[in-house]
Amino acid sequence: MHLAMYQIILITIYAFIAINDSLISNTLTQPAIAGMVSGLIMGDLKTGLMVGGTLQLMKLGLAAFGGASIPDYFTGSVLGTAFAIISGKGAEYGIGLAVPVSLLMLQLDVAARFCNVFLLHRIDKAIDRMQIKKIPHLVLSGSLLWGLSRCIPILLMLLVGDAAVTTLTNNMPVWLMNGLKTAGGVLPVVGVAILLRYLPAKQYIPYLLLGFFLAAYLKVPMLGVAIIGVIAAMIVFKINSNKKTNNDNSAVTSSGTFEGGYDGDE
Amino acid sequence: MAMNNNQVITKRDLNNISWRYILGSQLNWNYERMMSSGYLYGILPVLQKLYGNDDKELQDMLRTHNQFFNTNAIFGNLIMGIDVAIEEENGYKSKNTIVALKTALMGSLAGVGDSMFHVIWGTIFGSIAGTLAQSGSVVGCIIWIIANIALLFGRAALLPLGYKQGVKLVTTLKDKLAAFTDAATVLGITVIGALIPSVINATVPFIYKHNGVKLVIQDTLDQILPALVPVLLVALTYWMLGNKKLNSTKVIWIILILSIVLSAFGILA
Repeated sequence: MHLAMYQIILITIYAFIAINDSLISNTLTQPAIAGMVSGLIMGDLKTGLMVGGTLQLMKLGLAAFGGASIPDYFTGSVLGTAFAIISGKGAEYGIGLAVPVSLLMLQLDVAARFCNVFLLHRIDKAIDRMQIKKIPHLVLSGSLLWGLSRCIPILLMLLVGDAAVTTLTNNMPVWLMNGLKTAGGVLPVVGVAILLRYLPAKQYIPYLLLGFFLAAYLKVPMLGVAIIGVIAAMIVFKINSNKKTNNDNSAVTSSGTFEGGYDGDE
Repeated sequence: MAMNNNQVITKRDLNNISWRYILGSQLNWNYERMMSSGYLYGILPVLQKLYGNDDKELQDMLRTHNQFFNTNAIFGNLIMGIDVAIEEENGYKSKNTIVALKTALMGSLAGVGDSMFHVIWGTIFGSIAGTLAQSGSVVGCIIWIIANIALLFGRAALLPLGYKQGVKLVTTLKDKLAAFTDAATVLGITVIGALIPSVINATVPFIYKHNGVKLVIQDTLDQILPALVPVLLVALTYWMLGNKKLNSTKVIWIILILSIVLSAFGILA
């Protein structure tokens, strides 16, 4: 399927807004949501959800706080959905392509954060000259840099998309495509392992096992596991609050483990 | 010296700068001073109101608030609320207090805030949205969007709260936050346990044949423990992340290449 010009423009605008939202409510760049929106625009919601959902699971545990840059699974989700739909080869094909795309696009984030230094120095100058009205304009123009950092590559890839995807499809060896599919299933391990390192998992092994057995043996879906987790959390909160009245330091010591958690950008 | 500025900041001012900060806190994020100018953008109307009649003081405070700042964006609203209360009370002479306060709070709140709002929040809503999306349902995405909008309003309320309660809030909050963080961690870890068998998709397609005996390796593995391969892969990755030379992106590349190679030899699918 070919993408119509209006679809390409809509997706480019979406990319511009979404990357700015990642700095505000952090919603629209989530791969699952990005897949949903791009799927809707391209007229194949289901494929978008499958591509985005899979990439979302790869992104779990990879949070870009403290200015760390992580693989751009957002751009991967948008382009993966587009490639799946253009090629007509289904979600798995799109996911396979999205993984390397996400890894290569990591540099976009670095570029945007780097270019913003220039604006910062203009703000310093505005303060020196007391041009106060300029300050808000300069701060907000950061959004232009962020927006362009994603919408230019996405626009370019969508414009050459038809030709590029056809060439790729005709030339990619089967073993590589199968390997990328396998990688798509395996990659969520990275996020899970990061989470286990970041959170004080060793103190809470019973809950880790609880979650594992609920899903592995009883096949409880994720929403169900989360509800059971909320119940466990409520019980722990109650016990902790009661303990606090007896011993004022108990809660403080148990939270100390959060300091110096795993830093994904070492 | 600007004296007796007491009670010039209205409720409307507070809501105004709270939403300004939500909008602008990270738009100018850069490697030199990170969230400095986002803070300046948020607090600007208050600075103009407090120091507007003295250009020298105003300029100095503009510079002060454009210094290095980096914290969890959500708790940034709380810090700004506390800051505004002190500046309204003491004016320009509180400058050094403000610098010290911002530095002290940004570090201590960043750790808790990032754990709670990035890691645990993202893991729970992300795993629900991700697994449901894989089966073609938008429900998980919709739940997440609604939750994030609610979180925005909660964040907006933190600034007036910080203004009203002042520094003493941080001490009372610390105890409450600790109990709350423990509970959130329990929830997060329960979900992580469930993630291992449900989102990691790896099997061994290898079939052992000898003298007419056919042994499907995956069946044997399943009898030992369902999701044994995912468990082993998590253990391997956990161990790799402990290596100081490897960051998460390098580990992702290693897993990607390893998957392609093992799949080409028919060991992993």
